[in-house]
Amino acid sequence: MAKKTKGPQVLTGNLLGDGMVVFLGPDGSWRNDIDTAQIARSQEDAATLETEGADAVRASLLVDPYLVEVEETENGLVPVEFRERRRISGPSVNLEFNSRANGQPAFAA
Amino acid sequence: MYRYDEFDATFVRERVKQFRDQVERRVKGELTEEQFRPLRLMNGLYLQLHAYMLRVAVPYGTLNSRQMNQLAMIADKYDRGYGHFTTRQNIQYNWPRLPDVPDILSDLAVVEMHAIQTSGNCIRNVTADQWAGVAADEIEDPRPYAELMRQWSSLHPEFSFLPRKFKIAVTGATADRAAIAYHDIGLRLKRNAQGEIGFEVLVGGGMGRTPMLAARVRDWLPKNELLAYLEAIMRVYNLHGRRDNKYKARIKILVHELGAEEFTRQVEDEYARIDAPQVLPPEQEFARIAAYFAPPAYDDMPDEDADFKQALADNREFSHWVERSLATHRQPGYAIVNISLKPIGGVPGDASSAQMRAVAELARTYSHDEIRVTHEQNLVLPNVRKHDVFAVWQALKEHKLADSNLGLVTDIISCPGLDYCALATARSIPIAQDISKRLGDMKRQREIGDLKIKISGCINACGHHHAGHIGILGLEKRGEEYYQITLGGSGDENASVGEIIGPGFSSETVTDAVEAIVDTYVAQRQGDETFLSFYRRVGAEPFKEAVYATH
Repeated sequence: MAKKTKGPQVLTGNLLGDGMVVFLGPDGSWRNDIDTAQIARSQEDAATLETEGADAVRASLLVDPYLVEVEETENGLVPVEFRERRRISGPSVNLEFNSRANGQPAFAA
Repeated sequence: MYRYDEFDATFVRERVKQFRDQVERRVKGELTEEQFRPLRLMNGLYLQLHAYMLRVAVPYGTLNSRQMNQLAMIADKYDRGYGHFTTRQNIQYNWPRLPDVPDILSDLAVVEMHAIQTSGNCIRNVTADQWAGVAADEIEDPRPYAELMRQWSSLHPEFSFLPRKFKIAVTGATADRAAIAYHDIGLRLKRNAQGEIGFEVLVGGGMGRTPMLAARVRDWLPKNELLAYLEAIMRVYNLHGRRDNKYKARIKILVHELGAEEFTRQVEDEYARIDAPQVLPPEQEFARIAAYFAPPAYDDMPDEDADFKQALADNREFSHWVERSLATHRQPGYAIVNISLKPIGGVPGDASSAQMRAVAELARTYSHDEIRVTHEQNLVLPNVRKHDVFAVWQALKEHKLADSNLGLVTDIISCPGLDYCALATARSIPIAQDISKRLGDMKRQREIGDLKIKISGCINACGHHHAGHIGILGLEKRGEEYYQITLGGSGDENASVGEIIGPGFSSETVTDAVEAIVDTYVAQRQGDETFLSFYRRVGAEPFKEAVYATH
């Protein structure tokens, strides 16, 4: 169910294969970058995103999709909830390992 | 060390095969996440904040060099070149890919390891004193009993779906290095008035949102009756433990609600009904297990080594490291070498694959092929000749593993916190790093002396903050991390639960508060009074004055 909220929302989940955090883009693809996510500004739009998320779950692409409320700032989309802000930025430690470009997406420090 | 028999090996291989099939079905969409989640958790695979996490069991914290090398290989081949040693003496990988996990489990099985029962409402990896079998203060080696419990609890049909997870710790020493009072069941080998060895049995300890110290339900249990008595405890818990409320489901709540006396009565009643011979292993089977833990072929030599003494006299850095890192071995001429995984400003408990390989090589060359993982997130080489300690230290230095801070204020326990964990409410590692850098000057650390700081990133308390002399609990309020400080906790033989000092601190001010607490202790202690003794004597007042006067 789409959250009853006034703010814009994006749909997120973790990829089934590697667990990476992704967001639903306007073209239906799943992206690492929240700033390229499709924004829902109404409950109807949010419900549409959730339908696409459920399709991705059925297609064995995605795990546990849910809507995240965001603020549109001059620096891009920023989740309202603290946990979600931490989730998109990746670990703030162990950067020598976690930002390694070994074929896996690197998180911004 | 215990070696798998054919039954163990077959059982683990079959589990890998089963899980490979389950993963394939999940990827193909034949299993939903709801169906798959309990299956992956039974194999130690979590979905965390940013990726999957695989928790690998290190039974009672014991590894050989081949196993450690394999853990390093897995870190390189399937993960990001490092692993995280945990407060359950296990190791966690933070970045495995789901399709790779069956291969990882298969590679673990080659070296007699697995990830079974590192999650779920079952009996988890049994932990033990990291100096088991070598400690000078030991009454009897607890490892054969830990192995017995591992075998008994592995896929035990009656105890695979308990009300909640279940943790057992065992020690055979007088000093408690396994935090037994904080476990669902804590076991201590002791002698009775007749000089016979048996177990003191504690039940109902735990951390989490309701920290409790375990109650003693048996002062002395004949050691050969252990499994039957454990089975009685588990049955009472299975029958009466609450399944309606996750937060009240641990055995500590049952013990608390019934009262220790009534709980004990029920256990004893159940024990009287149990068909003990049906439960207890035949003597030959216990002897078979115990034989694996026979002491290695130590060299017969005097306790003192002239070269070691000379190196101590010649090299101050070495002598400082020895002071913090060596413990007394039961065998003359040998030492227990403890390795800090707490570099100043580093991530507590993390080791790179290169460091794992280095420790494996040192174990193979100098420690009768044995390594231990401690619940304080450090490593141990349990069997090093004093003559070889200098060479070991030099090799450790090369790999940045020779910090002289064990037991000191920068030897901090920290859970992964909100940098990795999906349950966390705040980050814990960066706070540990900040405190470590602030108080990391060696002279200052040595002046402060023994002091345990433990940090958890949520109320579940994986960082053992309740048992910290200074405990830090990370929470979130109105979109900001804040940190509650507790004082006076301890996980040793005089265990206590830390008490909240007052209002919490922001991530910017919590290190200042910790420093003020430490400085207050140093300024006001009497003689060589420890932090805990000081706190127990004077209470929280001087600390409150110091902390809240400036914040």
